[in-house]
Amino acid sequence: MAGKIVADTLEHSTAGSIATNYVVEGSAKAWARYNASTGTPSVNDSLNVASMSDVATGKHSYSFSSSFENANYAFTIGGSNVGTDSRLLLNNANAPATGSFQFVTINGSSAATDGTHNATVFHGDLA
Amino acid sequence: MQTPDFKGTHLFDRLCWAKENLDGVQSDYRVVYEDSIDECAKILVPDPNWMACALQGGILPPVWVYHELAKDEAQPDFKKHTRGYLLHQTEPVGAMTEEEAIEYLIMKDCPESVWKTYNEGNRPTMVICKKQQLPQTREWRNAWKISEELNIAA
Repeated sequence: MAGKIVADTLEHSTAGSIATNYVVEGSAKAWARYNASTGTPSVNDSLNVASMSDVATGKHSYSFSSSFENANYAFTIGGSNVGTDSRLLLNNANAPATGSFQFVTINGSSAATDGTHNATVFHGDLA
Repeated sequence: MQTPDFKGTHLFDRLCWAKENLDGVQSDYRVVYEDSIDECAKILVPDPNWMACALQGGILPPVWVYHELAKDEAQPDFKKHTRGYLLHQTEPVGAMTEEEAIEYLIMKDCPESVWKTYNEGNRPTMVICKKQQLPQTREWRNAWKISEELNIAA
């Protein structure tokens, strides 16, 4: 690709240096924001997500475009509702697969519920 | 905008190029399917950035690549993918229409048991529709089913 720079280390004039594999291996490999408050959900924005599935109330999944190498990738998830006191937490609903990830959204009473501002971030090695 | 020659380029790099250069496309299409008689209908929603890649062409791998990786992952001794190069080194597919992109997505992300036999039973188990045709509230979401009166063209 045009503009390619090959480097193993990035060095700052005063703050020190960092190996570029920290950047390559530590960057998020997928993320998404979605809204599931009305009708069927829609993805607001994302990276490396091909589709999401509306499985049931508060239960959704993503499929990735570029699969992870193994199913041991890390996920960070959270969400909120607008205009209510609901606090939504998202937990993994099924064991992750390399190409997809399913999760549930729960409110303060641990009941599955849908939310407005839901975000997910994934770190790991790609296949 | 012309897609660069991405053959052999890591798929993630291609997706990053698309993210930087293409506007997302929010599709109105939804795929409703049922893969278990005991569960409510599921709704497949295309991602806008993925749809932009599909319409642009030259970015996404052919869908059979995903099927090959799924076969590998289904093996009982699977630990990690060793054929990830299929995603990156296989010639990317060309530009698709929105309808072709939905067909690709069905074969990628719906269970094969659904899309191969969706119209062979007493009633269809998969329907492509517009989002306006679905309920506009989440009320009774866990009871959503494909109508038994639905007639669909093969």
